[in-house]
Amino acid sequence: MKKVLFPLNVEEMWSMWQDNPEAGLLAGGTDLLVKLRSQRIRLKTIICLEKVKELQQINTDGAQIFIGAMTNHQQLLENQVVKSRLGCLHQAAAVLGSPPIRHMGTIGGNICTASPAGDTLPPLYVLQANLELVSPTGSRIVPIEEFIYGPGKTALAPMEVLKQVIIDLPVPGIQTHYHKVGQRKALAISVCSLACYMQLAPDGSVGEARLAWGSVGPTVMRFPEVEALLYGRKISLDILRQCGELASQKVTPISDVRAGAEYRRRLTANLLIRLLPD
Amino acid sequence: MKDSTVAIGTALPRADGPGKVCGTEKYAADYYPEGMLWAGVKTSDYAHALVKEIDVSAALIIPGVHAVLIHKDVKGSNRVGVPESDAPVLADYKVCHKGDPVALIIAESREMVSRAAAAINVEYQALPAVFDPEQALLPDAPVLHENRADKNLLLSGAINKGKGALALEECTFSVESEFNLPAQEHAYLETETGVACLNDDGVLELVASTQTPFRDRMELAHALGLPATKIKISAPYLGGGFGGKDGITVQGLLGLAALNSSGRPVKMWNSREESFKSSSKRHPARMHYRLGCKQDGSLHALSCRIVLDTGAYASLGGPVLALAMEHAAGVYRIENTYIEGFCVYTNNPISGAFRGFGAPQVLAAVEQMIDMLADKIGMDPLEFRLKNAVNRGDELGSGVLMSRSTGIVACLQTMQKHPLWINRRQWEKDAPPFKRRAVGMAAGMQGTGYGPVVADVANAKLELLVDGRFRIYSGVADMGQGNNATNVQIAGEILGQSAAAFELLQPDTERSLPSGSSSASRTTYSFGNALQGACRLLKERILTRVCQMGMGIYQEDLLLVPGRVHHIPSGKDIPLTVIATAMTDSERVSVNSYTAPVARHHEIVNPAVRAAGFPHLVFCFACHLARIEINELTGEVTICDYLACTDGGRVLNPQLYEQQIQGGIVQGIGYALWEDFKVSAGEILSSNLSTYIIPGSLDVPDIISLPVETVEDSGPFGMKGIGEIGINLPYPAIANAVARATGRRIKTGPLSAERVWQALQAEEEQ
Repeated sequence: MKKVLFPLNVEEMWSMWQDNPEAGLLAGGTDLLVKLRSQRIRLKTIICLEKVKELQQINTDGAQIFIGAMTNHQQLLENQVVKSRLGCLHQAAAVLGSPPIRHMGTIGGNICTASPAGDTLPPLYVLQANLELVSPTGSRIVPIEEFIYGPGKTALAPMEVLKQVIIDLPVPGIQTHYHKVGQRKALAISVCSLACYMQLAPDGSVGEARLAWGSVGPTVMRFPEVEALLYGRKISLDILRQCGELASQKVTPISDVRAGAEYRRRLTANLLIRLLPD
Repeated sequence: MKDSTVAIGTALPRADGPGKVCGTEKYAADYYPEGMLWAGVKTSDYAHALVKEIDVSAALIIPGVHAVLIHKDVKGSNRVGVPESDAPVLADYKVCHKGDPVALIIAESREMVSRAAAAINVEYQALPAVFDPEQALLPDAPVLHENRADKNLLLSGAINKGKGALALEECTFSVESEFNLPAQEHAYLETETGVACLNDDGVLELVASTQTPFRDRMELAHALGLPATKIKISAPYLGGGFGGKDGITVQGLLGLAALNSSGRPVKMWNSREESFKSSSKRHPARMHYRLGCKQDGSLHALSCRIVLDTGAYASLGGPVLALAMEHAAGVYRIENTYIEGFCVYTNNPISGAFRGFGAPQVLAAVEQMIDMLADKIGMDPLEFRLKNAVNRGDELGSGVLMSRSTGIVACLQTMQKHPLWINRRQWEKDAPPFKRRAVGMAAGMQGTGYGPVVADVANAKLELLVDGRFRIYSGVADMGQGNNATNVQIAGEILGQSAAAFELLQPDTERSLPSGSSSASRTTYSFGNALQGACRLLKERILTRVCQMGMGIYQEDLLLVPGRVHHIPSGKDIPLTVIATAMTDSERVSVNSYTAPVARHHEIVNPAVRAAGFPHLVFCFACHLARIEINELTGEVTICDYLACTDGGRVLNPQLYEQQIQGGIVQGIGYALWEDFKVSAGEILSSNLSTYIIPGSLDVPDIISLPVETVEDSGPFGMKGIGEIGINLPYPAIANAVARATGRRIKTGPLSAERVWQALQAEEEQ
């Protein structure tokens, strides 16, 4: 039998955690429970964060959006600001898992699991999300690219929790997209994914471009050289192919039971073609 | 339940529907007897090894562990399996694959079972293992079962018809190819499970998720050393079977546990991982084909070699091979054929029965060969099939005579007239950018029943209850296909009663009568035939009794209507309750036995293959069409539309019929595109449903099912079994479309996005 604790606020969370320093934090459980079941980790105590009120809400001040770490993917999907301003994050939530998983899994859990296949991560990379980490002694802000440094590896210090995700809302003229290849149409872990953020001038030429790939390296990957290729250019099959060739040389995919490295490398390039206007 | 018409041919709502939807129907997995213990196994760490010593002492001292049993605790033969009894309940001197159970733990909780399993220490002496069926046939290959004269060869056979393979030289056109198909996992919702208890009378009572309660009883008696009279098995509705529960799964272990649990009930329920490890799969197949035709497009010669990997134990590998050979030449007249088949033991997971039973593999191959040959001679693939398809009275390429209803030509003609076929070229042309479209088709059949040697017998029992209703004692398990619901329709039709008048008793070795397995597309065919007879007998008895009650001497004057008997001349009614009360207990029960007809004369194949079930007499037929779209950027295949034209004889219930066809097709689409049971050196890589990909609802299109009704005069109300035919053709139909779209034949299944992408690459590089 395991002990499961339900703190109602951050203060309670700290005291419960201090009383049970070996406890695991449960932020939805779609990864943690799988690991517990397969005995990859063992825990005597679980602190479930679903009732911690400070971690729940989504707020916006017009310039930024603050997404509580315990926001589940379904809430993310239904949020109107996310839908209208953060298209790539909305699209990622829409293809993440299945309805039951979307109702359980949270954005904070997805980030802290730090899987290169996490569906919300490439969008958060191109949106240059900042993460607010809190501890009993204070808080700090870390950009997501610095937070995750390997599969399952994050900059979380002991007794530190991800409180919320802070994103600057893109100004008009910014387009964002998320594209994913999984082994089936739903309930599939990504074999390769791509998020993009593009500033488009009225004449169609690209200003700032950000591209982030999932499942093709130990973390989500961005390549400034590839992004620079797009600068000042109009989107065309030709330029996307050039970007693809360069990116496919830079990614470091693995072969596993889901797909081969060579295939993932090719998808890295080909997913860019989906950015062609219809 | 409100009365609804039961007439044959109407969509009577399924009798099992409300209970299943509301969650009140109890599956075997739902039994939690009071005071129960959990049972579970420790499995082998080796694919092939001698078991030197099993030390269970550390497990026994874990609090809550009731007992740990090993092979020495099995009092009987310790072997199960039909027709070959070669699989141990608990491994004794050796293990032959990584799922082999070495020790059985009985404990207060599942957690204690797994802790105890980890504490058991087994000393092995590793043996060289063999994982490739061709290598297993070599003279110096490691032998799994030393007592077998044929070593690793379970069964082989050859059909040599006409001039055999030599006739390929007489062909104007010929094609050659090989195909590799992977294992397929049944992936039923309810993994293998049951509960068992030794009751006060010393009777071992089991409730199990099984397709074969009566056969299990005989097997358990032998394996555990008990008289069959001391074993009782009941089989509630199964949460899926598909062939994976055609025989013993956990029943041997459960029985053994209950004999050693101090009278406490025991439950066993495999986790998904345990299920993947221990249960049988569809046989992986390697097939090499050559096919030739004359100038005019008439098929002339076929030669093929089929190698099936049956894994560590025989399971139903022999009969699967026999059926594969029988279906290997498809639905065509081919004068000259040479078909050889081998079913081989390896140290891989076990292969056995799975919906289609060998047909999906060979039809995937031969139907691609047909398309390749049609391409070569520039003939339309449907015309080509029509030109060569059998009619009643013709012989298949495998030498099997089509002596019963044979509707393949009608199926093909139905497809030929369908807009999905007629408009296929335009639809292909309208492909959006970065997409390729193609339409593929395939044709095939499924033999039904057990073949010429094993008697296909069903025994129906029907009782008029004193409350005026009827109880049908089902002898064949219902694993979801709806045979019980169909029993209501058949009985209701003959007895003139509404659905509410029937009570269904699930198979039970004590109360119902042995009626064979729920398998081989024979369930409704055989049991339905038996039930018809039982209904007629009881009807006759009821009417006779009414005559004796003063209603004259003419049964023709009497009409059996819902709840009563109507006397036409007088207009009087007698309620069934009154009639039932007037009858003795034994009079109210009718029993009827039915034995399915067989094709008796067949010398074209060797006796061992014949004994394994070659040939069949009654076949159902189908042709399928798939419209697919390939994403050029990713290789992903989307099935846009799907059409199935099926000759399953008369349709008794259009809704159940469609459910069977659709279910088979979805499982077949999974086999074609995603389901890849990956094994490396005997180790399962796709260990659960997170890496073994089965289709979800978004992955399958709306499926159009068009029944092409023939009348099978040997089937109840003209029907033939359609439980399997649906799964046989998605693979070749989709493969033919993929080949058309990419210009390449992908020879290894499944046709995953990665393989399709590789085919596109190969085309680009050319």
